[in-house]
Amino acid sequence: MPNDNADKVVTDSKQIGKYKVEVLRGKCISAGSCVAIAPKVFELDEQGIATIISQDGDPDDTKLLAAQSCPTAAIVVTDTSTGKQVWPRE
Amino acid sequence: MPPQMFTAKLADKQVLTPKFTHYTFEFVSPNTMTFEAGQYISLAVDAEGHRRSYSICSEPAKQHAFELLIDNTPNGLGVKFLEGLEFGHEANLLGPLGKFVITPEMASEPLVFVATGSGAAPFRSMVLDQLQKQSKVPMTLYMGLRYEEDMFWQDEWQRLQTQFANFHFHPTLSKPSQNWPLCRGRVTDCLTVHEQPPGAHYLICGNAPMLADVTELLKKAGVPDDHMHNEKFH
Repeated sequence: MPNDNADKVVTDSKQIGKYKVEVLRGKCISAGSCVAIAPKVFELDEQGIATIISQDGDPDDTKLLAAQSCPTAAIVVTDTSTGKQVWPRE
Repeated sequence: MPPQMFTAKLADKQVLTPKFTHYTFEFVSPNTMTFEAGQYISLAVDAEGHRRSYSICSEPAKQHAFELLIDNTPNGLGVKFLEGLEFGHEANLLGPLGKFVITPEMASEPLVFVATGSGAAPFRSMVLDQLQKQSKVPMTLYMGLRYEEDMFWQDEWQRLQTQFANFHFHPTLSKPSQNWPLCRGRVTDCLTVHEQPPGAHYLICGNAPMLADVTELLKKAGVPDDHMHNEKFH
């Protein structure tokens, strides 16, 4: 459901792997699959929306799996070494 | 068990109704998966990398295989992938995932399962698991569908109800025929007319409006928050 934060992107400045993840809050439907797959990177806030707790909590491939499991493509993965968006594919 | 990648091959496909299909996969590598009843898997559904999550509807004792109940009506990526999968062909999945499970504490109290549509999937796993563990706690399943022709697994639920005195099954139809003798309306209507066991844990699985309606009803009935557990289906 769209909300006032639809375009708000939640990121975390700290990261070690080359993939940076971002959550598009307005697209998140609280499915929770990202949390199940990468629980050290994502959590659900009090509104049930996915937020990032650490960019380096889980490896890059796990972060990508978490993004790919999101049914609404609410997680954007960017390769910081190239600047290219890895997921969703453009 | 932490989630890991598996490959599994399609072993069986049973069209239950025009709306629901029951798939059985045999694990290939690794060849078994340890999971808890109520957990789900994340299935890779195209070459691009899209994944879809599905509750396992088989019991954990069956470690060499897993079964899925699919609602075909969304006809999205997951449904198209599964419909196109041929027997013996492999699928890639990640699992087990999820915390929608019966804890030992919950298992010592009466259990009430409330589902609509494919929300019954995790409850099939849970009920079979509890009965195989020889649980004696009362278990009641409320299963909501629209029409009689949508009904699936009825024979299995009826057989379990006959075989196990502690299991009860209440199908509820929102658009039944005139001759339908059982609960009519929504699952909340059926829950309202039945006396509920004190101290029960309620496990609820369905879409967001259904979860909200059932939760509101139970709260009004005085069920504490820590006795309500839900899984939202999309």
